[in-house]
Amino acid sequence: MALPNPALSQIPDSYKFGWHDAEQPRTTFEKGISSEVVAEISRIKDEPKWMTDLRLKAYRHFEARPMPKWGADLTGIDFQDIYYYVTGNSNGAAQSWDDVPDYIRRTYDKLGIPEAEKKYLAGVGGQYDSEVIYHNIREDLEKQGVIFMGTDQALKEHPDLFREYFGTVIPANDNKLAALNTAVWSGGSFIYVPKDVHVELPLQAYFRINTENMGQFERTLIIADEGSSVHYVEGCTAPTYSTASLHSAVVEIIVKKGARVRYTTIQNWSSNVYNLVTKRAVAHEDAVMEWVDGNLGSKVTMKYPSIYLLGERAHGEVLSIAFAGDGQHQDAGGKIIHAAPNTTSLITSKSISKGTGRTSYRGLIKVYPGCERSKSTVRCDALILDDDARSDTYPYMEIDEENVTIGHEATVSKVGSEQLFYLMSRGLSEAEASAMIVNGFIEPIVKELPMEYAVEMNRLIQLQMEGAVG
Amino acid sequence: MTVQAASILDADAIGRISDRFDEPDWLRALRAAWWKRADSTPPPTGQEEEWRRTSLADLPRGAVLLMDVPELETHLPSGAAEDGVILTDLRTAVRDHPELVERYLGQVDGPASHAHFWALAQAAWTGGLFCYVPRGVSVDGTLVARQLLPRADVAFHPVSLVVAEEDSSVTLLTEVVSPDGATGWYGGMADVRAGPSARVRYADLQQLGDGAWRIGAERVVVGQDAVVTTLNAEVGSRITKLGLDVLMTGKGGTSKVLGILAAGDDQKIDINTVQDLAADHTTSDLLYLSALYDRAHASFYGITNVRHGTKQTSSYQECRNLLLSPQAGAEPIPVLEIAANDILRCGHGATAGAIDPTTLFYAQTRGLDADAAERMIVRGFFEQVVSQIVDETIRQRVLAALARRIGADSSDEVAA
Repeated sequence: MALPNPALSQIPDSYKFGWHDAEQPRTTFEKGISSEVVAEISRIKDEPKWMTDLRLKAYRHFEARPMPKWGADLTGIDFQDIYYYVTGNSNGAAQSWDDVPDYIRRTYDKLGIPEAEKKYLAGVGGQYDSEVIYHNIREDLEKQGVIFMGTDQALKEHPDLFREYFGTVIPANDNKLAALNTAVWSGGSFIYVPKDVHVELPLQAYFRINTENMGQFERTLIIADEGSSVHYVEGCTAPTYSTASLHSAVVEIIVKKGARVRYTTIQNWSSNVYNLVTKRAVAHEDAVMEWVDGNLGSKVTMKYPSIYLLGERAHGEVLSIAFAGDGQHQDAGGKIIHAAPNTTSLITSKSISKGTGRTSYRGLIKVYPGCERSKSTVRCDALILDDDARSDTYPYMEIDEENVTIGHEATVSKVGSEQLFYLMSRGLSEAEASAMIVNGFIEPIVKELPMEYAVEMNRLIQLQMEGAVG
Repeated sequence: MTVQAASILDADAIGRISDRFDEPDWLRALRAAWWKRADSTPPPTGQEEEWRRTSLADLPRGAVLLMDVPELETHLPSGAAEDGVILTDLRTAVRDHPELVERYLGQVDGPASHAHFWALAQAAWTGGLFCYVPRGVSVDGTLVARQLLPRADVAFHPVSLVVAEEDSSVTLLTEVVSPDGATGWYGGMADVRAGPSARVRYADLQQLGDGAWRIGAERVVVGQDAVVTTLNAEVGSRITKLGLDVLMTGKGGTSKVLGILAAGDDQKIDINTVQDLAADHTTSDLLYLSALYDRAHASFYGITNVRHGTKQTSSYQECRNLLLSPQAGAEPIPVLEIAANDILRCGHGATAGAIDPTTLFYAQTRGLDADAAERMIVRGFFEQVVSQIVDETIRQRVLAALARRIGADSSDEVAA
């Protein structure tokens, strides 16, 4: 389902046999983190000294910094009760199909996900023969000079390019969780798009099938050189099962002069996961950066994709959608920093809370002195579906320049009984009617998704409304 | 950074206030109890969300407590006294209406963000206001209480107690004025209660001198079916840090929470509000407008809290900032925390920006010079609040105070 339609049509009949259980040697550390664990991860990966040093430095920052006291309740995290490095299988993935909980399997069935993909999503598939799908795309990209590979691989194959950009957008000491990621990162995607190259198809982590791309501490770095463009899609709409309780990714994006990057995430971790992610992009002169960020799964998510508008006329957009069901807290939003004149930005947030779920929009618009004629609009809408559901809005604004136009607006509403009554009188069940209203509510965001994602997203919302997920 | 105890006061000094005013035992005990609270409630450290934007490092903690407070100037419309309405200096009220004052004074906590300063004022007040409107009494006309401070270089922690009993109706304006020049500490606190079905209009006009630190708080309780409008007009001071709680505790209560800020020079105004929708069918709408000149900076951190289990509440928060100089700044942060789904309406809006150049140009093509055009546009901007001030006396006083910052207009009948 997460495959684009043209690719689907290329799947051979033997697809379901494409799996092979990759019996790889496993290196498993004891639970817990220390500078020895960090150094050992780097040693096993055979990394250059600068990376080992950076990891150790980051670990010291991680240790020194307190846990954030704002936002969601993070007291359930025990950093010494976590495996920081597992090879041979996807980090945090189930060991076999039998370990995958029934509710996740049922959801896959309801979404009609093919057998092989189910296993892949559950993390038990190992590698499957993706050559047919992926090979053509990869050849095209290579001809254009696009680099698209695992972050670990990129460190080995493109050491200079890697070192020039790694950790420049999100430094090792940025925040406690980013420091942790820098210390123990593994997996993730590395993308370099050369000058004036436009990557037409959305690049999906899904294509770059390997066991590490849904890693617990993945690290993604995207560099769009001048005048280029790329759309990267991370994750899948279908629930992603993980036995690990903490996922802490870092994503850095550099959008150079006149380039354009869109980064789409559909986060649907299983409901035992703390998902604490740092995502940041810098946009230079005339560049455009867009985050499309959907959060459906996890127990707790704290994620605020941010954009630093560093060059004149740079434009940043964050489209954020959050759905919190029973016991979930989605603390999401976006940050835009206007650091050059004539920069513009737009944040649109749609959040839905259901059952005992809680959504929080948390955002920042900052305008530095001298950033004349900056314009920013923030629009937040929330839908509260049940008596015990909760919705918060924390829209921070720091405006230190006079000649700007900054606005924020938010509304909160419930599904109107009249709307429901009308739809039910046309023969829809209450769940179907609610789902239809919710789908209408998030439509402005869903229409920005690649088609196959949009279809799946709508179906998923419907399942969640029926209480059929989780 | 941790700040030390917030003043040079101690338990003995609090006792000497009681000695000086020859106070009854209950008040002596009340002050002592609040002093303990002040002492055990640490002052803000700057880590608190509400205190991140205002540093207390330079608060003049050593300022001497003002003991010889001039009597409050009060104006009570004729006939009101006969109906049992009381409007007087708090010290006078302790003497003349001890039972009433004992029943209401110092009985509640103020806004949590200002807990230390609230306790300090309850312990160390040397002046203040007592306003009481008995059950069923409607006062025609405007009650006015004005506090003139003789000097700036002092600490003064007055307490205003405003009680409107069930079914009463009252309009009250309080004003404070102090001289420019020296640095001082004004820690005025207000405790406003509107009983069931009461109608209260309460306006506070702050015109402190340019060295004043205003660290104030206001707690407004809106009873069942009561209708309350509050207005904070902040014109003076060097630093203003105001905490305002509007507690919608009675079913069907309505509140309008208005604010006007006109600031220039190096003024820093930081307001935090809580609209607590704790009962069914309550309505609370907030509108704060700031016009910021020179290097002035306004922060607004407001929370709309819709409590779990409440039904059919309705609320809005709006904060607009007009930036009139390249060095002016604003941080509007309207927060919503909503734990109920059966809401009628809940939303917020915030803006910050300069005057639209085309508007300015248009005004100039009609023959106004740039300054006059700017004045007109600022007045127009404030009109959104001013038009909601129904009481003529209050509107005139507020406009006159604003004129000092935004400039008088020739067509303005209040300038005189």
